[in-house]
Amino acid sequence: MTAAGFSPQAGEESAEELAAAQLRRQVARQFGRSLHIRTLDTGSCAACEQEIRLLAAPHYDLHRLGLFFTPAPRHADMLLVTGPMIRAFDVAVRKTYEAMPGPKLVVATGACALGGVYQPDAFTHGGAGEMLPVDVWIPGCPPSPLALLQGLLVAVGRLAEKSRTMTFVQNGNPR
Amino acid sequence: MTAVRTEEAPGLRDLLADLARLGSAPASRASSVVSLTVPVGGLEQVVHRLIAEPGARLADMFASAEPQRSGWPERNSEPVRLRMVWALDAHRAYLITESLVDSASYPELSDIAPAAFIEECEIYEQFGIRPAGGKPLNRLVLPPHAGRDFPRLGRAPLEEPGEVHALHLVGGQAFEYPFGPVRQVGVESLYYGLVTSGEEVVDLYLFTWHKHRGVELRLQGCCLADALFYVERMEGLGAVANGWAFAAAAEAVLGIAPTEEALRARAVALELERLYNHAAATAALCQACGLSVGQAQAEIALERLHRVNAAAFGHRYLFGVIDIGGVRQAPDVAALRAALPAAYGELRRATDALLATNSLVDRLEATGILTAEAARRLGLVGPVARSTGLSLDARADHPVAPYDRHPPAVATGEAGDVLARFRVMLAEAGESVALIGDLLDAGTGTGTVRAAIPGSAGRPLPGRAAIGQPRPAGRGQGGEPGNLRHGLGWAESSRGETLAWLALDHDGLITRARLRPASARNWRGFDDAARSQNVFTDIPIIEASFWLTVAGIAR
Amino acid sequence: MPLWFARGLRRGVVTTRYPAQRDPSAADLPTPPAFCAEKLTREVADQLCQACPCGALSRAGDALTFDAGACTACGRCAQAVPGAVTRSGEFELAATRREHLIKQIPLVGESER
Repeated sequence: MTAAGFSPQAGEESAEELAAAQLRRQVARQFGRSLHIRTLDTGSCAACEQEIRLLAAPHYDLHRLGLFFTPAPRHADMLLVTGPMIRAFDVAVRKTYEAMPGPKLVVATGACALGGVYQPDAFTHGGAGEMLPVDVWIPGCPPSPLALLQGLLVAVGRLAEKSRTMTFVQNGNPR
Repeated sequence: MTAVRTEEAPGLRDLLADLARLGSAPASRASSVVSLTVPVGGLEQVVHRLIAEPGARLADMFASAEPQRSGWPERNSEPVRLRMVWALDAHRAYLITESLVDSASYPELSDIAPAAFIEECEIYEQFGIRPAGGKPLNRLVLPPHAGRDFPRLGRAPLEEPGEVHALHLVGGQAFEYPFGPVRQVGVESLYYGLVTSGEEVVDLYLFTWHKHRGVELRLQGCCLADALFYVERMEGLGAVANGWAFAAAAEAVLGIAPTEEALRARAVALELERLYNHAAATAALCQACGLSVGQAQAEIALERLHRVNAAAFGHRYLFGVIDIGGVRQAPDVAALRAALPAAYGELRRATDALLATNSLVDRLEATGILTAEAARRLGLVGPVARSTGLSLDARADHPVAPYDRHPPAVATGEAGDVLARFRVMLAEAGESVALIGDLLDAGTGTGTVRAAIPGSAGRPLPGRAAIGQPRPAGRGQGGEPGNLRHGLGWAESSRGETLAWLALDHDGLITRARLRPASARNWRGFDDAARSQNVFTDIPIIEASFWLTVAGIAR
Repeated sequence: MPLWFARGLRRGVVTTRYPAQRDPSAADLPTPPAFCAEKLTREVADQLCQACPCGALSRAGDALTFDAGACTACGRCAQAVPGAVTRSGEFELAATRREHLIKQIPLVGESER
């Protein structure tokens, strides 16, 4: 179950679909007030981890937004994944994800976890999407704490996603 | 006997023709890397002599598959070249011995066994050759499911490596359990085995195959520019140091000398990297000791230092600064001068207060003691080694510009405990700020020398091309095997000396890249420091005081 | 402990107001490129794709495919063709679907010879 990214067809919902949508919204609201995050390094270079640690530092202080880190997957609502998903790590990934009770979110962050940098091969899956159902993708190498904050808040529905409408095209003369 | 083929000044040739005369200094600055070929039968004698030399240490040991006539190494070809990189710190030189191994084993080099054990295991898994004598080798590099066809640098070993660790006796009762790889939040995955009798750490051994990305394998066949991208991202907290070592190795092969301004720019970036790493270690130390306020203060300083990096070089972790032949950009001097003193002031005030906090100092003193003898035996580098009293610093021992004109004061400690390592780091941080000031005064610029760098048309990207695909035919002309050009580069990262060794073919593509960040050398000291008289809660404190990365060893 | 308390009070609050307010430190962050539409000929597009070390840029026919998720903001594309690439300044890049980060940028037809 995911708490983000659901868009029902107008007028076509069954009673169950309506109930599911309502449940998702309630979950999103709950997560939006208090979210516990478990991080998972699947083979990163350690820079993503440093930026994630800085989220709890005074300059960013994720606690003021109702976001918390927890070492226990059992207490976690969200799995924050870095690294290109090294195959030797599969068992640990599966165990960590399955130890988290639902509803849960998965956020993949960093160019490695998004499939850049490493292609799928014998060593790595080449991205988090191969092993986990990712709800939100946060690019960056490494993603700055500001980018991480935006991504976490998008995941709990408190901020709107912006990347969908970005074009990365400059018309006319550059500033 | 020992065939001598020097690549530098002839003065060194005489010296090394008779290893007994190693007491004299090299003839000139250019002669700072010497290569010797040593027949494998004489290797034990040579090692025995070198280990007895004061100021000499084994810096690295690795193998490469012998290239065929076409100039391209075939993975299953025989024989294998075994190389050892010795740092002759007293003579300000590196010595590389090269031995052709045409059977499945090489002599048991018991003199260097502690300093070379991890490398021996790695070479066995990657190339299938092992030291004679039948001692058990552990699985370190490749995961347990790796079959004979799993991509490696050379041949698969005939017998799979085992999992053998030292026997231990603790009054009859001890239990052993694996810890990790998923551990505390926000730290890298690390997998280790812990042996305990209850609270005390009896033994601790690392597994590193869970993060092995095959970086050295990926770099084969790449052009230098693409490889640099991967080298920076091999260990993100050491991007500048590892990038510099790699670029220096490439420049040694290609005969390029970056300009003085570019080298000063590189050094500014390297010192900034040292600064933020030491600040991060301070924060981690406070966190491990449960001093939240100290942690917050250190993190404030750390964040400010990252912002200084972004203002000066456009990236919080200084990716994209090093370039082959120089730097990709010069620092924004005005921004750096404006922001750095205040950021360092934050760190200094925080650490002064920490060292005045008795509860913290008590916690750090006598924790995780490493002796100078252990540091020497294991070939450790960096603040970990310096805190035991060994004065090892690649900037001082193997100076390359600009450190020849701007030599840093090398900070050492004595006790070898967590407090000593912390003090060394803090002394270095202060020295780094002073150095940056001097370097900016002397002038920085790009001045990257692009002329001789091989072009990049039509090359396969590392990671983009599937590992294990046969290389296109006709790659790399000419060549007698052994005519490949190779070079050694080094830099002093915040964790210690990092090395890079490159072999390029005649197109300028990489046939073998050996990357040895300081973490790859220093993790073996972690076992020693964690053992005996330490309890579980000491382990994070010791880990923070080492401030290594898993990415640096599991590459 | 009074030492730390006094120190903290003296410094004041350093916490960012983000997302309620913009954070000035974002101006120094490396960000993905923005491509100058009128400069994107097939030739230029191919040069850009060649420069990218992690496959974020590829060309299929008359469109440049840019994967902002794979992009590491390394700047090699800007270095290769400086006139065609500028800084986007975008760092709020989170996406709920991976496809939202993959952009098709139309090229400007054949280059004149």
